[in-house]
Amino acid sequence: MQATETDIRTDVRTDEELVEFVVGGEVDCFEELITRYQPRVFGMARKYFRNESDVEDVVQTIFTKTFQKLGSYKGTAPFEHWFMRLSVNTCYDALRRRRNRREHTISDMLFEDESWQDRLGNIPSDDDKEGMEQARELVHTVLDQVSDRARIVLTLQELEGRSVKEIAEITGWSESLVKVQAFRARTEMRASVERFLMKEKRL
Amino acid sequence: MEPYDVNGYRQMKANDTEQFLKLAKSVQNDERVPVNFSARVMTRVRKQHTLETRSADEQFLKFFRNLPWKEHVPYAFEKRIMARIREFLTPDPLTVWSRMLWRAVAPCFGVMILAALFSAKEPTAAFIDQAAFDPAETTTETVDPESTDFETVMLASFDDLEYTW
Repeated sequence: MQATETDIRTDVRTDEELVEFVVGGEVDCFEELITRYQPRVFGMARKYFRNESDVEDVVQTIFTKTFQKLGSYKGTAPFEHWFMRLSVNTCYDALRRRRNRREHTISDMLFEDESWQDRLGNIPSDDDKEGMEQARELVHTVLDQVSDRARIVLTLQELEGRSVKEIAEITGWSESLVKVQAFRARTEMRASVERFLMKEKRL
Repeated sequence: MEPYDVNGYRQMKANDTEQFLKLAKSVQNDERVPVNFSARVMTRVRKQHTLETRSADEQFLKFFRNLPWKEHVPYAFEKRIMARIREFLTPDPLTVWSRMLWRAVAPCFGVMILAALFSAKEPTAAFIDQAAFDPAETTTETVDPESTDFETVMLASFDDLEYTW
């Protein structure tokens, strides 16, 4: 009975409690934090990087960085916010480092069977793995053409539906800077999409 | 002709308005809704939305938002990270040694400065002492007595060598 109660208590440990344990020297508690957050971090990293090896590298960096900086977590804001901020910033740094490694060009993403705009109109079903993969490739190729800042803002605002205030908190930028970046991001994205269409028309 | 009663007319008009307002307030709102009205409105809204999202960038954003992003985690990924973290925690002898060396830099530097200060001050003090003892000699030449002692000590071994040969 005693053991069961302890087990239950262990299961409902909050993130902040786990952080306290890790900082106090119980390193194994960090594994629970990893297990809790890894699906979200993987999902997030896949929005920024197309290669699975790049995704794994970034996620690994995020968690090791978190472990190293855990001592600086003050506990004034929820751990999730602090962690997500660190994750987004790590992705941004990694994007900047990989800036010169853009694998696909616009011409690679032109389809023989249907027009690019037609493809945008049809989101593949979950069962259609190949279609889904192609759709993700398409998104990555368009977003590869925009700047890293624009990509971060587009992903946070348009994909994750975060507010300007939230983006400012995550990125550490001021709210006015986020608004400016969001406007620029939309312009860059529009230009990138138009480049696709122009290329398609020429062929 | 009967004179026009302005005040009376106004009074009557005010009464009528009040009565009308009372009557209007007493009428209950008809809140009945035509069948499938919301569905009909939503169809129009969706149509409008598709018309609005005809531009390629809007379409791309819509596509981007609706695309599911997989959250699949590689097998035992957390174990891999934990192993890496434990690697960090195990001290590497070379790292420890270099860390110690770096830590020793500041005290060594401090000792060096102190030694430099002492060595710069000491000859002057000795010189002053000697000047107090023998003022005539010091006025003619400034020989550092420490340097002669140093030479005697350093060359003592060579003096002994002469005798051995």
